[in-house]
Amino acid sequence: MSERHRFVTSAGTVVLVEESHAIPLVDLTAVFRTGALADPIGQEGLARIAARMLRMGTAARSAEETEETLEKLGASMSIDVSHGSIRFMASVIARSFPKFLELFGQILTAPALRPRDLARVKRESIADLAQQRDNDRWLASRAFRSALFGEHPYARSPLGTAPSMRRIAQADVASFLERHITAPNLVLGIAGDVSMAELPQLVGHALGPLSRAKAPTIALGSAARPRGRRLVLVDKPGRTQTQMFVGTLGSRLRDADFHTLLVANTAFGGTFSAPLVQEVRARRGFSYSASSRLGADREREAWTIYTHPSSENAATCLALELELVDRFVSRGPTATELRFAKGYLVKSHAFDLDTPHKRLEPRVEAEVHGLPRAFHERFVERVSHVELDAARAAIHRRLSADDLTIALVATARDVITSLEPLVDDVRVVPFDRI
Amino acid sequence: MSPARARTKPPALLAEHPFGPSLRVLRYRLPNGLTILVLRDPSAPIVSYHTWFRVGSRHETPGKTGQAHLLEHLMFIETESVAEGEFDRLLEAEGGESNAATWTDWTYYYENLPASTWKLAVRLEAGRMNGLVLVPKRVASEKEVVESERRDRVEDDVDGAVSERLYASVFGRQHPYGWPTIGWMRDIRAFSPADCRRFYRAHYAPNHATIVVAGDVDPADAVKTIAEAYGHFPSSPAPKPSPLKIPSARGEKRLEMRWPTPTEKLAIGWVAPAFEQRDHAVLTVLTHVLASGRSARLHVDLVREREIASEVRMSLAPFREASLVDAWVSLREGHTAVDALRAIDLQLARLAKEAVPAAELDKVKNGLELSFLGGLETVPGKAEQIGFSETVVGDPSHAFVRLEEYRSVTPADVRRVAAKVLAADARTIVRVLRGRA
Repeated sequence: MSERHRFVTSAGTVVLVEESHAIPLVDLTAVFRTGALADPIGQEGLARIAARMLRMGTAARSAEETEETLEKLGASMSIDVSHGSIRFMASVIARSFPKFLELFGQILTAPALRPRDLARVKRESIADLAQQRDNDRWLASRAFRSALFGEHPYARSPLGTAPSMRRIAQADVASFLERHITAPNLVLGIAGDVSMAELPQLVGHALGPLSRAKAPTIALGSAARPRGRRLVLVDKPGRTQTQMFVGTLGSRLRDADFHTLLVANTAFGGTFSAPLVQEVRARRGFSYSASSRLGADREREAWTIYTHPSSENAATCLALELELVDRFVSRGPTATELRFAKGYLVKSHAFDLDTPHKRLEPRVEAEVHGLPRAFHERFVERVSHVELDAARAAIHRRLSADDLTIALVATARDVITSLEPLVDDVRVVPFDRI
Repeated sequence: MSPARARTKPPALLAEHPFGPSLRVLRYRLPNGLTILVLRDPSAPIVSYHTWFRVGSRHETPGKTGQAHLLEHLMFIETESVAEGEFDRLLEAEGGESNAATWTDWTYYYENLPASTWKLAVRLEAGRMNGLVLVPKRVASEKEVVESERRDRVEDDVDGAVSERLYASVFGRQHPYGWPTIGWMRDIRAFSPADCRRFYRAHYAPNHATIVVAGDVDPADAVKTIAEAYGHFPSSPAPKPSPLKIPSARGEKRLEMRWPTPTEKLAIGWVAPAFEQRDHAVLTVLTHVLASGRSARLHVDLVREREIASEVRMSLAPFREASLVDAWVSLREGHTAVDALRAIDLQLARLAKEAVPAAELDKVKNGLELSFLGGLETVPGKAEQIGFSETVVGDPSHAFVRLEEYRSVTPADVRRVAAKVLAADARTIVRVLRGRA
């Protein structure tokens, strides 16, 4: 097991540590409380482009030299920009950790922001967006979120669009980084072969130059649930199967029903033994993958069911899923299903905590979202106490079988006639317009 | 417990294999030929239980491709001691998870369980090694699941479709490394329960398998439990497939295909050394020089400087008798596979002409060490390393040997292997053009 530490730098960064010397490896997670929600209208993709500009070189190093140095240290680093966060994830051989941390500090505090690099990042990002259209699941997911969230910021893609990225200027990037990449806005997590005797000094030195300014708060309202059963059909030629998302609004992290809904969702489609998987995959062989997921964020995220039936079976599979959702929302899980889900979540919790990095992640999440420590630390207790009546009531409060958003990638002419009778509204979108 | 089981005594320790500085893999063998490898690792209160069978798509025949993979699916459905649907329910009731994978040379199954209940894995795995039930109705529905998997990974996926085309062209459609492990769709649809039963009887026996138990277990208790559960299973004659004929260079092959894709793609494949050979390690280093990370040569050239590609990657298969190394390029709009091929050829010519600088090699070796350490972060990761290494090379600690091989690679090694493997007259090129498939 690992030793757990927490300290706050003089500049206001919270640092969480899981110290373990089992293998000579260090994992670092650095999360800034910002993201695509901070993108101005018309400049969607700004947070992601700004984050990418951070690894395009420092005052002392070109972009090429920065990448070269990172890899010479035996480090890998990725950056993920979601609606609510910019997250750096890195792994490094333990002997290189001090040098890596120094370089990471320079990346955050002294980015070069060269105009030619911005132009290059924009071209790369637009090319990445084009390449995403090869990914049918991504297309279906984009169409689903856009239809479910409508005008809400969660509908927007953190990737942005080609026109919105083209509108981003050097000053926009500089301003975004100055306002959001600040010490108090950062939660830093470090797990693995590090020594607490050295860490505060190393972190203080590396991140010392970070701005101490308070980052702007990003206002966010609630999303409204679209009414009726609405289907978005993403038309792509030559498809033998579909990619299908069915869902509605789900939960938020501070929702009093969150843990109850988590158990309910597990009972519905979160394990291989759950009814969704048994009915769609095991009994009928409709889809290799079948699962349901409860999203939760600052505001209500999506509750989704994912499957990929063949074009031939798409309508039958969708009808089955709608029937399963109807039953789930009107009756809730059975007592046996709920008991099974609770047992699974409680006993499998050991696998959520089996490495220093996994033990660190929930602590980082709680810190980023300002959740009480009990949110994760009392997970087992909260899940264990979910009762059947409470689960049914929470499902009634939060989910809906009448208001469902459905997004499907398929060759439209192969499926549209059979799908139309199942929904209130159908909209067809060519895949290259997503 | 049956009398036959009661008579099976725990076997004696055969060997100890160091697994890093502080861990040891203990080796045992039952009289029926079942190999047992135990790694005691109390770093987390969990156990990972792996069963590796030395059978994969390489052991199939033309017209029956995908048999090993379909059987892998069927192994989760019903056994003489576990009713239909109960396998996953029993595991998940204990918080466990299970999955399996099939490739050319092996099929493996795993269960990850809390340490307090790990023996459930012994019961379930022993049950299906010797008592699988194949009901026609469920064979039919599982074939549909596999068809769905194939549609998802190949029929509607440009990467999967190109990869399948590349392997078939490099090795030949009638070669066991040339047909897809998931099988041709026509073959999947044609399997009967009798086909599956024959394959199961031929290949699923204790003397064709290795069990790996890793995690918070007492080795003596583990071996005793496994001996009691499996000791009475009969061994069966080991199928001995003829050594594969490895295709030799016969000039460059060029193929074209059309796909509804926003940009052109390019794939190039070459026959590569078998996993066990040191040159496989050299080739791993070489592929990292070219295409691993943002400072790799092809990334810098094609993505960053020329801006003709959005993605470049290389992969090297880890097969027993020969492998395939391939490069994949996703072009940007307005650029063609011809542009990418020209740039790649220049980089390969540079490799032939100039030694890779020592500093660049050191960078790659550090990256490979990082990947190696990443594989050891979890107990299931260690179990997989052990099972794979034992099955493909016969040494459960081979990952550490491989790391030393990476460290020993010289610039001259890289140049030699580049000339030997990545020759223009020994490659197959697949170009994907935009349009209807």
